[in-house]
Amino acid sequence: MPHPPRKPSPPRMRRILQFLVGLLVLVPLTVHAQETAAPAPSGHGSFTAAHAAKARTQTADHSKFKILQGPFKDGDGPAVTKACLTCHTKAAQQVMATSHWTWNVAKDGNDGYGKSTFLVNNYCLTIIGGNTEGCTRCHAGYGFKDKSFDFNQQENVDCLVCHDTTGDYEKERAGMPNPAVPLADVAQKVGSPTLKNCGACHFFGGGANATKHGDLDDTILKAPRTEDVHMSKQGAGMDCVDCHTSDSHKVGGPNYVIPADRREQPKFPGESVSRMSCAACHTDAPHKSYVLNRHYQKVACQTCHIPAFARGERPTNTFWDWATSGRLKDGRPYEEKDANGWPTYTSMRGKMVWERNVKPSYIWYNGNLKFTRLTDTLPASRPVVLNPAEGSYTDPNAKIWPFKFHEATQPYDPVLNKLVAPFTDGPPGSGAYWGDWKMDIAVKKGMDTAGLPYSGQFDYLRTTMLWPITHMVAPKEQALTCTECHARKGRLAAVPGFYLIGRDRGTGVDFIGFAVIILTILGVGIHGVIRYLHGRH
Amino acid sequence: MRRVVLYERFERFWHWAQALIIITMMLTGFEIRGILGLHLFGFQRAVTVHNALAVALVTLIVFAIFWHVTTGEWRQYIPTRKFLREMVAFYLTGIFKGASHPVKKHRMAKLNPLQRLAYLGFKVLIIPVQITTGALYYFYPNLQHAFGWSPSALWFIAVVHVLGAFGLVAFLIGHVYLTTTGHTPLTNIKAMITGWEDLPDDEYFDENP
Repeated sequence: MPHPPRKPSPPRMRRILQFLVGLLVLVPLTVHAQETAAPAPSGHGSFTAAHAAKARTQTADHSKFKILQGPFKDGDGPAVTKACLTCHTKAAQQVMATSHWTWNVAKDGNDGYGKSTFLVNNYCLTIIGGNTEGCTRCHAGYGFKDKSFDFNQQENVDCLVCHDTTGDYEKERAGMPNPAVPLADVAQKVGSPTLKNCGACHFFGGGANATKHGDLDDTILKAPRTEDVHMSKQGAGMDCVDCHTSDSHKVGGPNYVIPADRREQPKFPGESVSRMSCAACHTDAPHKSYVLNRHYQKVACQTCHIPAFARGERPTNTFWDWATSGRLKDGRPYEEKDANGWPTYTSMRGKMVWERNVKPSYIWYNGNLKFTRLTDTLPASRPVVLNPAEGSYTDPNAKIWPFKFHEATQPYDPVLNKLVAPFTDGPPGSGAYWGDWKMDIAVKKGMDTAGLPYSGQFDYLRTTMLWPITHMVAPKEQALTCTECHARKGRLAAVPGFYLIGRDRGTGVDFIGFAVIILTILGVGIHGVIRYLHGRH
Repeated sequence: MRRVVLYERFERFWHWAQALIIITMMLTGFEIRGILGLHLFGFQRAVTVHNALAVALVTLIVFAIFWHVTTGEWRQYIPTRKFLREMVAFYLTGIFKGASHPVKKHRMAKLNPLQRLAYLGFKVLIIPVQITTGALYYFYPNLQHAFGWSPSALWFIAVVHVLGAFGLVAFLIGHVYLTTTGHTPLTNIKAMITGWEDLPDDEYFDENP
């Protein structure tokens, strides 16, 4: 029996078909529309969500606790701490075991790497020459005035500086709260540390905003995404503690001991430890390109993804010339400022250079900076690098890393060949440098206070200090292009110990190559000319 | 005279594909090295293209080897001293006086003794050296990691690779020039494109009299 001719599908069937096809097209479209319609802030979606969820992680409403209702005496921080310790019984002991409290770190079995001991930098130099009280405004404790401070008093731990969420908390000399701080209100609203808590000290290293690090200053609080993809509110909106995770109040990532990137990987997604490397979140192969991913072996992520530091509105200090400090006008200290209002000279500190958008310097770095203490004899080479970075091409843990190089002149003892700790912060008549403007007396006083030997002579020494750059990660569009480094005079022009394509080409090899090519051209040229001439005749 | 297919279709494809690949690899390679400030592709694309073409070239060569073996065409490259002296003399003097070519081309012996030497050298020396050093170069991070190779190993690999590249440029110049030494300057190139070439009658070799 022959098949009947195929009938055109009835209108009803066609409509159903159309509907089904329409559904196929529409469903993904609407799902997509719903996804995009959701309030998704720009930047890294998942982390922004994590950030928003943070408020829910607290299981206690501290305003419900009677003991936090106060009243507390004005400026009586220790009373608040005592109240905290009634529930958080181990918290103070935990904090007391960290460098936020001790200001001292042991390194390779040697003690003395900290502000409270013998560590020295080339900004404000050191605190132990009698400057403790002014500097301990940033100590996570109360009453650290001088070396008689009792590091075992639990109520002297300052809980609020890290856990205040109101923004009203403020510390003064010796770390005591400003008497105007409404302590009970602050205590009832404690929470997880945010950028502001950490920034209260870490944005202001070196004595003022943006001075020390170059990749950390308070512009991050209001930064566009281009300044810092992680911490900008337009970006991932992350807090410091999202990477600097802590265990028993021990915050990860102190510069003095932890290798900066040990290629640690989380053992499972979202694991709370070891987020101290980019790879912990981004994996060690985040690019689509295999060739780019392999750079990970020898190049820190920061090298390409932080094209410049101090990218906010604030410049960072790159040169600090103590040797020119102490000049007075009519017996009084003075300041000179550039067109932008940044000090180019102050009697207190000497000549200063401030820079924005600074190209980092690049060196091999395995995470270990070899710091110089006041007790260490200086190397013979000049200028002295106070904290040379360890690492080389052949070191499997070392990578090429971006640094801020901070240059300075600072007082030292040319006889003992050691750095010195001048007494800088004090009133006129105290012998302090910023009171009486006599460096010889200030050094003598400072070394006496510190209990360190001093020959009685001082001179100024040119020093360099290295600050690894790791914050202010730029959006990926601003990452370095290949030829920033793969070029004759690129950013890595001075990084030794390996062959870098595009940078290293023995001119001898190219000379031989071009000679061969030119000889070939000459050969065939002459041959051709002779052929041509013969052919014509 | 009679017209014969001197170059098979695959052979022609292989030749021109290889030419295109090698010339592009030269340009990208020299851009990567930074020679003469060459800027054609941009560094990153030059690297990508160079690496992709390396894979393409190796694939092509694998097919070419298969073709040479299965067709027996590999015998065309067996070096010989026969007429070698005459060929050298021809290029040095004879060619200028309009002397006839000392070696008659034949389907089964289409390469003169100098060509045999040059192309054999190209196939068993320059290309393998470039492929080997290129692969060592590409996998250097892995090798360095696995065997603890010193940084100067990479320098050495790079130097050999670059010298090989310069050698290829010189080869290309000489090769292109010598194609013009045929019956007319374009005879040889036309043959390489169409496959056909007019060969003189030759009783000794003629398989179809």
